[in-house]
Amino acid sequence: MNKLRDYFHTDWSAMTLHDWIGLIITVGAFLAMVWIYARVFNPKNRERYESQRHIPFDDENTDSENQR
Amino acid sequence: MEETKYNFDVVRWFTIMAVVYLVVGTLVGVYIASELAWPFLNFDIPYITFGRLRPLHTNAVIFAFGGCALFATSFYSVQRTGSTSLWSDKLAWFVFWGWNAIIVSAVITLPLGLTQAKEYAELEWPIDLAIAVVWLAWGFNFIMTIAKRKTSHIYVSNWFFMGMFVMITYLHVVNSLAIPVGLFKSYSLFSGVQDAMIQWWWGHNAVGFYLTAGFLGIMYYFVPKQANRPVFSYRLSVLHFWALMFGYVWLGAHHLQYTALPDWTGSLGAAVSLAMIIPSWGGAINGMMTLSGAWDKLRTDYILRFLIMSLAFYAMSTFEGPVMSSKTVNALSHYTDWTIGHVHSGALGWVAMVASGALYHLTEKLWNTRMYSAKLVNTHFWLATIGTVVYITAMWVSGIMQGLMWRDYDEFGTLTYTFAESVAAMHPYYVMRAIGGMIYWTGGAIMLFNVIMTVRQAVAQRGTAAAAAA
Repeated sequence: MNKLRDYFHTDWSAMTLHDWIGLIITVGAFLAMVWIYARVFNPKNRERYESQRHIPFDDENTDSENQR
Repeated sequence: MEETKYNFDVVRWFTIMAVVYLVVGTLVGVYIASELAWPFLNFDIPYITFGRLRPLHTNAVIFAFGGCALFATSFYSVQRTGSTSLWSDKLAWFVFWGWNAIIVSAVITLPLGLTQAKEYAELEWPIDLAIAVVWLAWGFNFIMTIAKRKTSHIYVSNWFFMGMFVMITYLHVVNSLAIPVGLFKSYSLFSGVQDAMIQWWWGHNAVGFYLTAGFLGIMYYFVPKQANRPVFSYRLSVLHFWALMFGYVWLGAHHLQYTALPDWTGSLGAAVSLAMIIPSWGGAINGMMTLSGAWDKLRTDYILRFLIMSLAFYAMSTFEGPVMSSKTVNALSHYTDWTIGHVHSGALGWVAMVASGALYHLTEKLWNTRMYSAKLVNTHFWLATIGTVVYITAMWVSGIMQGLMWRDYDEFGTLTYTFAESVAAMHPYYVMRAIGGMIYWTGGAIMLFNVIMTVRQAVAQRGTAAAAAA
């Protein structure tokens, strides 16, 4: 246990501004990814996302190029 | 339903120039590969030595071919998926002429030896400024076109193009920060290990955001369109996008294992590289499974073959890369030809194949015709596939052999082989690489012929139809 605690020991007083910026961005990016996973795999959002699959085919009736 | 008029003239020109640059860029590649196999091909002319032509090759294939393919496909798909025309036709033409002027300046300056010596960012500072201006013009036009779209949702391919735009702007500006000391000479703002870290932060992200995110934008529009089926899972594509955007920026440090860079930085780069296998494979499977239930299309649709084969190479190279980034494997693979093989499995197998499929699709759509010869499309497909396999196999064998020869030592702790002996041992594989490249180039040349004949055929048909109507 002590070994594990030593492994994760951080000297917070030695953290520079760059260290803090890096830490906040890293943790922020991790939390954002967790939020995206939860949102995308939430069954309530399934239809909302999957209905967008057809967008590339929606323009075929309004396509002047194909009628030339 | 209201009819939409699109701006496709500039897309047509970008399409043609992309094919032209594919042929030119790979020809330079074949020549420098031949120089490595048969050094007399330098002919003691400084302008055509490997050191000067190599950046010309990389700039031609990445920025000339890749850039024109990205501009053609992005300007096309953003109009189609937004049911709207480009925000500014004039700005699109500015991008076309500006980008081509940059390519011409690269063709002049690189053989003259004018270079910043930063990999994939060799061009001197005035050209770097021009790249920034033209790139911003493309991105601004793209985003403004999205802003005036008639659909409520922004399709995922456009997210990939926008992600590429934001990140490449940031990367290009920071990596190119330099102090000019003359019109064609500048010194990087960074030095030592910081310069190396910035270089590879740019270098790997040029691969990650330009050659991957941008070409995934191509994949997510053109695979469903060519297969005539919606993408397998839209939710997976959203995850693919965000995981790529959050993950890729960390990877650059894996290029600097066992250097003066702090050890933890390389470990972090390798750890995130390995984690990136998940979204990369998720995206590759998403693209391939779009054909679920309709695999028979691959028998008859040769354009679709390019798109699906590209995804196989994408999956393969996004597995190989993370494995190579791990310290254990990197100790053997670093500085060897294995890296060159890995880059080309991605460049020839993924980037150029998916772009070729998209360019064939565009040619048929933009000129409202079928390809002049479907058989030649199939011939190109097989030449591209065989050429890539020959190339990367040669480099795998050569690279692993190099790594093993360099690290081998006898019972007295003395190196078994001299460096020159390892160079001599590479000769057959360098010949094989040049042959593989030549096979790939032949496919590109056939594509150029086929595209030109298709355009001529379409123009002739249109002329006949107009005459009949009159």
